Amino acid sequence: MTYFSFFTAECRVVWRRKQDIVNVLLFFTLVVALFPLGINPSVDFLAPAAGGIVWCAALLAILMTIESVFKDDFHDGSLEQWVVSGLFLPILMLLKIGVQWLAVILPLLLIMPLISQMVALPDESFWVLILSLLVGTPSVFLMGAIGAALTVSLKQGAMLVMLVILPFYLPVIIFATSAVQASQSGLPYHGFLALLLAMSLLSLVVSPFMTAIAVKASVN
Amino acid sequence: MRWVWFHKLGSPKWFFFWSKAWALPAFVFGLVCLVMGLIWGLAFAPPDYQQGDSVRIIYMHVPAAMLAQSAYLTLGISGAIFLVWQMKIAPMVIASLAPIGAVMAFIALVTGAIWGKATWGTWWVWDARLTSVLVLFFLYMGVIALQHSLDDMALANKATAIISVVGLINLPIIKYSVVWWNTLHQGATFTLTEKPAMPIEMWLPLLFTVIGLYSMVGGVLMWRMQTEILLREHRTNWVKEEVMNRGL
Repeated sequence: MTYFSFFTAECRVVWRRKQDIVNVLLFFTLVVALFPLGINPSVDFLAPAAGGIVWCAALLAILMTIESVFKDDFHDGSLEQWVVSGLFLPILMLLKIGVQWLAVILPLLLIMPLISQMVALPDESFWVLILSLLVGTPSVFLMGAIGAALTVSLKQGAMLVMLVILPFYLPVIIFATSAVQASQSGLPYHGFLALLLAMSLLSLVVSPFMTAIAVKASVN
Repeated sequence: MRWVWFHKLGSPKWFFFWSKAWALPAFVFGLVCLVMGLIWGLAFAPPDYQQGDSVRIIYMHVPAAMLAQSAYLTLGISGAIFLVWQMKIAPMVIASLAPIGAVMAFIALVTGAIWGKATWGTWWVWDARLTSVLVLFFLYMGVIALQHSLDDMALANKATAIISVVGLINLPIIKYSVVWWNTLHQGATFTLTEKPAMPIEMWLPLLFTVIGLYSMVGGVLMWRMQTEILLREHRTNWVKEEVMNRGL
């Protein structure tokens, strides 16, 4: 096994399980639909809340996918193979999470024009929302991977991952929605995006190592 | 100065016997200090010139909030120690301290809400300090949940250590939330390095309650760790001897 063969294998796995990605998008859209139906469908409510609605739905959808990211690998023994393969485990983790991120985020961005119509997002904030998703979600995936790796040996780990990992997402959602809201009121939003990027970079440094430790502990 | 005693703390057996001698004195000393500070603060300290008598809740609020943060810092340091040096005692610290920390964060939140109702007119605002302490409470709950749902002890130790270390990121956010964001919550009331902004008659009882609660929690932590050590080391000979000779 090389890094490249690992990468292509991961891509192939994602490609052959397209239905999972479709499910994530459906779940995301359904959560978004809950807000107008459950609270208030008027533009007065939706426009200021749009960024928050999209981000809440995205966080939940991502957490649902990331929770099971190591499950199959754990059950078919791939995790053990990675640990003993002689390759640097944190890099494998990074590749794995990177592939997952691309597979979920690219389709999510593609349906974003549709979603932004659903939640009456003002046009001037659209690109800010896209940017905030681009720079913010890497940290969401990377942090979630730690929780997923920790609970991979449990049958019902989803609730535990939520409980353990969601607190770490609060800063992400605060800064992401602040950026969208600032752009709506014509204020500078670059600071918020920079903070999101900083969080993603920080988790890029910390998370692969922590995930690797957790994977090793789960396998033994 | 000899540091041998410090290194010995890493050994469960040594810690067990050492803490057996110190737990009760620490707890009693803490309790006396806390009760003294509370009586002094609640009954004799002067009321605040702005907030009147409602300021007296500070004597419970500030010590609990300080302990909630210190306990998490200890959790994070223990987690790092365990991940790097694999010391046996570190996961025991995490397992015994997390529930205490959660209780402290909870007390800080509840007393803060009551104080907020009296002074701000609302139980809760989405202020940076309040929210980050709420997150701290959730982090504690996450650590406890992880500890209890992983049956494999080795995995549970690693998992809680990792989450404790990662959660350290929240501490500077709590600490500086009142500096970075201009919000409703007031700045730090209690620092050891600077001259207190409040009169000494109010500051001294607060000092007593803080020292008292720290010492009390220290005693409780030692007791909880003794239980934890007995549980985890029950196969070793010294535990068998100890239980045979003195009972549980």
